[in-house]
Amino acid sequence: MHRRSLRLRLLVTFGLGAFILSSVFASLTYVGLKHILVSDQQQTDLRQVYVNAALVRTTLYTSPPELPNVLNSIEKATDSNVLIQTHNQWLSESGGAATTDVSNDMIQAADGGKPTEQTLNVNGQEIFVVGVPIPSVESQFFEVFQLAALEHTLNLLLLVVGAGAILTLVIGISGGLWVTRRTVRPLERVSAAAALIAGGELTTRLVTDNTDREVQQLTESFNAMVSQLVERLERDARFASDVSHELRSPLTTLATTATVLSQHRDDLSPVAQQSLDLLVGDLAVFQSLVEDLLEIARSDAGAAPLVIETVSAVELVRQSIRSASQHHGVNAPLVAVASDVHDPMVNVDRRRFERVMSNLIDNAHHYAGGAVAIRILVDDETLIINVDDAGEGVPVDEQDQVFQRFFRGRAAHDRGIARGTGLGLALVRDHVQTFGGTITVQESPEGGARFQICLPLQKSIVP
Amino acid sequence: MPRILIVEDDDRIRIALRLMFEGEGFVVDDAPTGEVGVALFNRMTSDIAIVDIMLPAMTGFETCQAIRATSDVPIVIVSARDDTADVVLGLESGADDYVTKPFVPEELLARVRAHLRRRPEKSAKAFGLGNLHVIPDEGVVRHRDGTELHLTSTEFRLLTDLASANGKILSREDLLERVWGYDYFGDSRLVDVHIRRLRTKIEPDPSNPLYLVTVRGAGYKLVL
Repeated sequence: MHRRSLRLRLLVTFGLGAFILSSVFASLTYVGLKHILVSDQQQTDLRQVYVNAALVRTTLYTSPPELPNVLNSIEKATDSNVLIQTHNQWLSESGGAATTDVSNDMIQAADGGKPTEQTLNVNGQEIFVVGVPIPSVESQFFEVFQLAALEHTLNLLLLVVGAGAILTLVIGISGGLWVTRRTVRPLERVSAAAALIAGGELTTRLVTDNTDREVQQLTESFNAMVSQLVERLERDARFASDVSHELRSPLTTLATTATVLSQHRDDLSPVAQQSLDLLVGDLAVFQSLVEDLLEIARSDAGAAPLVIETVSAVELVRQSIRSASQHHGVNAPLVAVASDVHDPMVNVDRRRFERVMSNLIDNAHHYAGGAVAIRILVDDETLIINVDDAGEGVPVDEQDQVFQRFFRGRAAHDRGIARGTGLGLALVRDHVQTFGGTITVQESPEGGARFQICLPLQKSIVP
Repeated sequence: MPRILIVEDDDRIRIALRLMFEGEGFVVDDAPTGEVGVALFNRMTSDIAIVDIMLPAMTGFETCQAIRATSDVPIVIVSARDDTADVVLGLESGADDYVTKPFVPEELLARVRAHLRRRPEKSAKAFGLGNLHVIPDEGVVRHRDGTELHLTSTEFRLLTDLASANGKILSREDLLERVWGYDYFGDSRLVDVHIRRLRTKIEPDPSNPLYLVTVRGAGYKLVL
């Protein structure tokens, strides 16, 4: 789905709204004012024309020779040009106006005794021409007004109205920006906080510095939700931890008592001996399960502090392998270090790293008859630790699933192996990821499984 | 017969441990509280002590300190959690070793045996260390003025083993093997905490060690 930006939409809406509104207002204002101004001007001009026509008629009656002077004074007084026609002959032509300014229609109309008016555009100049018949002297009076002055006013008006429109648009967009920021910013904060929380920063909360009621409500609801979520997570983790904690004391008693019974094994009947063996065997599983549960619950709850140190990888692997083999009562596999590897350093939590190796050794022991080799090599910036066994390997479709909690593969089902806790490899992956590394399983050269740990190398050794 | 003191407030665990150690041929004194444990220890002179950290009233840490005040017998603490802070605090209180519940009983047995088995190497030669004079034969460290510097058996063993390496680096693994016993499932924190404690006793400035130096990524060595 195409995802539209709320910010952009709000901004466009506001901008467009402001633009349309300002344009409409500006247009209406301009058109309206223009109409009023023009018709006002024309009314004035018309009245002037009748007065002037009366004056001309009087002059023609009384002293026709005075006509040019009269016309001159009229033109001066009204800033217009005057034309008079008698019997198809132009009686007077003033300097500015041409007879072509007056159309034949107007002449005919005036000839027929009808006053006319017309707005014309001559050479880009607006002119207002009025024709009035003066029947008593068989003449027609025409007056041509230049509309340039009015046009100037209208242009000024257009400028003012246009500036107003642009100002409105700018204000609209600024308002849009402000509203957008105000609306979108809380959303962005929520989004950022949610991303942080999803990334494991469970202490993240929104800050309630916005005074808008809706935003405050959102902030409070969000924070309440996160708190409840965190509480729920902690409760779940604590539950697993508490259960395992509570199991420890009875389990310690059980295991110790089983050891006491084993000390007196020879005194027991064959049936009791067999029962004891079953008891001891499953107690060991129970014990591992509780240990793994505790470990996983602690790392889930974030209760176990991570103590990252820069350590010598080979030394740590050797030591972990030996400890783990001792712990699980198996022969320690060979630790082979590639010849080009010179004391690589890694950043890990020693205890957790030992746990990782221990669980891998234990896993190989239960499912593949034991690890045959631990191979350490370096590839560029990465330390690679291969834990190889000669078992049946892990089917390709299970290679990712084996690291899931309580996953049991087909092979384990088929062979009735029920010794593992189902948590060992999940813990391994959790821990390796904590160190910034990865673990995968593939096929080993021995034909079994190869568990491959990749850890980032610590190149520079700080003395 | 070795004599062991067990300080544990959980009755069932205490009884089970008592039975197990008796079955292994130990003479067992057991105490439900730290106070009783310390009193028993002072009367009975045990060879080794097992102390639970989570005790009512007097804590396991305090119990360790009280025992350590009068004796350098090995002390193994039993921690409910293997949080580094707990373990380190326990070791700082004077314990030599720790196990976490639920522990594997055989492992506890193995550790106790390892602690009882190890003794300072009698053949080692005496050596000087700054103002100190270390005499492995007698198991003592003396200042130049003749007064004795008190080290626990683990600290003494750590010092003499590092000395017998003749300036070579010993890894944490090597030290766990030599000091805490060969067939041993150990934790490198044991080494680190003991080294730190030893430094506070033998180094003029423990934060800038002159003799007991860390070789990063490799281990420790003693500069004679």
